[in-house]
Amino acid sequence: MLTLGLAAFLLLAVIVVVVVSNRGGESNAAVVVVRGVIGSEKKPFFDDQRVKDAFRKAGFDVKVDTAGSRQIATTVDLSKYDFAFPAGTPQAQKIKTDRKAKTVYVPFSTPMAIASFEPIAKILQSAGVAQDNGGWWSFDMAKFIDLVGKDTRWKDIVGNTDYPANKQVLITSTDVTTSNSAAMYASIASYLLNGSNVVASVAQAQAVAPAVAPLFGRQGYTEQSSEAPFDDYLSIGAGKTPIVMIYESQFVARALAKDGSIKPGMVLMYPTPTIISKHSLVPLTPNGDAIGQLLSTDPTLQGLAVQFGFRTADPDAFAKVVKAAGVSTAPSFVDVVEPPTMDNLDALIDAIANEMKSASVTTAASTSTSNATTNATTQP
Amino acid sequence: MRRLVGPLWVAIVVVVAAAGCTSSPSGTSPNATFKNGPATLNLLAGSELKDMLPILNDARKATGVSVNLTYVGSLDGAEQIAAGSTADAAWFGSDKYIGLAGASTKILAREKIALSPVVLGVRADVAQQLGWSSGKASWKDIVAAVDAGKLTFAMTNPTVSNSGFSALVSVASALAGGEALSANTIDSVGLKKFLSGNQLTAGSSGFLVDAFVAAQDRIPAMVNYESVLVSLNESGRLKSKLMLVYPTEGIVTADYPLMLLNSDKREAYDKLTAYLTRPDVQSAVQRLTARRAVAPGVAADPRLPTSLLVEASFPANIEVTRLLLDQYQSELRRPANTVYVLDTSGSMGAPGRLDAMQAAMKGLAGADDSLSGTFTRFSPRENVTVVSFATDVKDVQSWKITSSDPNSPELTDLRSHIDGLTADGRTAIYSALNRGYDAALEAAKADPQAATSIVLMTDGENNEGIQPSEFINRMTNRPGSEKDIRIFTIRFGEANPAELQQIADITGGKVFDGRSGSLSQVFKEIRGYQ
Repeated sequence: MLTLGLAAFLLLAVIVVVVVSNRGGESNAAVVVVRGVIGSEKKPFFDDQRVKDAFRKAGFDVKVDTAGSRQIATTVDLSKYDFAFPAGTPQAQKIKTDRKAKTVYVPFSTPMAIASFEPIAKILQSAGVAQDNGGWWSFDMAKFIDLVGKDTRWKDIVGNTDYPANKQVLITSTDVTTSNSAAMYASIASYLLNGSNVVASVAQAQAVAPAVAPLFGRQGYTEQSSEAPFDDYLSIGAGKTPIVMIYESQFVARALAKDGSIKPGMVLMYPTPTIISKHSLVPLTPNGDAIGQLLSTDPTLQGLAVQFGFRTADPDAFAKVVKAAGVSTAPSFVDVVEPPTMDNLDALIDAIANEMKSASVTTAASTSTSNATTNATTQP
Repeated sequence: MRRLVGPLWVAIVVVVAAAGCTSSPSGTSPNATFKNGPATLNLLAGSELKDMLPILNDARKATGVSVNLTYVGSLDGAEQIAAGSTADAAWFGSDKYIGLAGASTKILAREKIALSPVVLGVRADVAQQLGWSSGKASWKDIVAAVDAGKLTFAMTNPTVSNSGFSALVSVASALAGGEALSANTIDSVGLKKFLSGNQLTAGSSGFLVDAFVAAQDRIPAMVNYESVLVSLNESGRLKSKLMLVYPTEGIVTADYPLMLLNSDKREAYDKLTAYLTRPDVQSAVQRLTARRAVAPGVAADPRLPTSLLVEASFPANIEVTRLLLDQYQSELRRPANTVYVLDTSGSMGAPGRLDAMQAAMKGLAGADDSLSGTFTRFSPRENVTVVSFATDVKDVQSWKITSSDPNSPELTDLRSHIDGLTADGRTAIYSALNRGYDAALEAAKADPQAATSIVLMTDGENNEGIQPSEFINRMTNRPGSEKDIRIFTIRFGEANPAELQQIADITGGKVFDGRSGSLSQVFKEIRGYQ
């Protein structure tokens, strides 16, 4: 009885709050709270008051939690949510299958990009990796993988006086085991190392993993979610992240916001080949489905998505907005590859993680064994 | 490969027939959204964040979120989180210890609030002698200067404190050739050279500053956060300012993540982090604490250089970080002489006294298997002396530790010795301390490179043997070289706080409170200072 009473009270409280919060709003309809779990790169979009207002106008109050896109597809308890909104197709397809969802919405997309600084881009140009296309740069992934294979240090690149660091030339990425942007980076590399073919079997995944693993393992510690390394790029700068794998939308959104975070000399580079990350909303309840529809079809929300750096169904809208803001982005993409299916992507990531782990565990074990031996022989 | 020409960002819109599905307010909306609990966040925080109190006070006025801070060390806090702390959030210089303690999954959200790189502050005259006046030197230059006997420095213990930990990682990675450290690239010879210069240590960055101020004539440099060094230079506490050296191979920057632990407090957490990352607030944090703003678009502070600071790569695997810290304890750090002067008078027979002290000592001698237990265990190249006393000194025994294996003969024997202690007799604190001091001096003479210190634990007032004034007299009349031994005192039971404070003060030690909380925790905390 007590529980029932409490439930009744809470229900009443919900209604009261809804009524109160609706006062002065544009609609008199009851507002429905909808919960979603999203990739962290979309949090600023959902936090924006104009986006909240557009949802509210349609009768929804959308609350979001963030998690790595791969975590959303694997470890996050989705039963609490009305929709899941990871950053990529493979994860969305897995959630769709696991949760028997009827559909997947792709309201907006964004290509993978590499954020850098003009002096760094020029150094990479002299190394034959980067090319200036008039404000935006292309980044030759095959040549870059060669550089990494040769254990190249920044200071070793001929003509480099601006960035005399002894660090290895590496793209800063997120944790390949948890984050979609790193998984997309691994997908591009695996495509090149698999003879320009999308990895299509476990055997192929295992065959390319030893060559892909150093791109991640040599970075040392990596962050879990895509906002963190981009934040480092913006606040710490070239000392920590001379080149960082991001979604184009992250950079463009900051530039459009004119909040001072994109400073002169910060440039966007586009890997060739690249992958287009299709932000995919999987509805888990009818309310979640309504959000998917709104995001895909509501003109206000589609327009706001562009303001947050995403490319939508209307390519002219994006082109117009970035041009007006003076942001140099790639107008089109010639080399585009698809990521592997979730199963093959999983196999690839597992194989990469195993490569990274076995390297460290073997050496750790052998070091402690040799210590034990030393102790044993020096003891009386 | 699929070759696609032209614009490809055509979003794919999958239209579905489930239209008009808005449900009633109770629908699927969880009640938690409307939670109206008090907006208070109980925070576990590093003690150096005390300087954020004025900002947090403003945050309360602006957001209605009040914050209660409980100060703990980075490692201690991480273990509390791993064990399921009831705190709502945690705030430390880094989240690396949380990873080490296996508690990463307890972190529900994380927002970096400020930045401060860990660098070396060197007294200007010494920096000039070493040719570092421009602020440019490499870790390798620093190791060479230490090895040549031209530089000693203060640095916190890396197993318990983030600034020492960050520096150790930076140096190790510089010596490994500038790449992320792996198990087989730890240069133990180079690291040992570097650490031989670490002549003053502490368990926290804040206490290290006080100890360094007291020792500034003797020790010319300190590893600490840039923010701490800049603030110290402005404090007027130094006779000669420190020049900040940003080692060229790479440094590790603390990013002060504010981490949510309790999902019920997400709203308060979101409000607080949104406030703290507001550009004007970031500017205020920068001005007040000399930590760098993390939010973009905030003007740089003229006190903090904007030149390129290369960030060292952090080890990818927890196993490697753990190995580095284990090696720090067992072979890289300076050897140690540690003297424990332990009260076993009659009053220690009261419940929760002798047994608590025995458990604490046995924990250090191998009985504690936790992460902090293994980091604080008596370690190889350490010489442990136990002086037990009551009416007079009862017993003095020493153990040369050769292995941190709990089953080693010396640790087994040390534990059984502690088990054999009994509580009887009166309390001759200062006669016993004097005897302990002699033992410490003897050990220091036998190994001048070792870090020698004394721990005094008593639960009562001195009522036998020499008076405190006589002990202090003897101390002050010792020749200069014999005065470097720090005494850490533990206040327990009815011990005289003023006397313990005086003893700690004149030796550069510190008083620890063993009355509230666990005595084992205090014994472990002191290990960070030895």
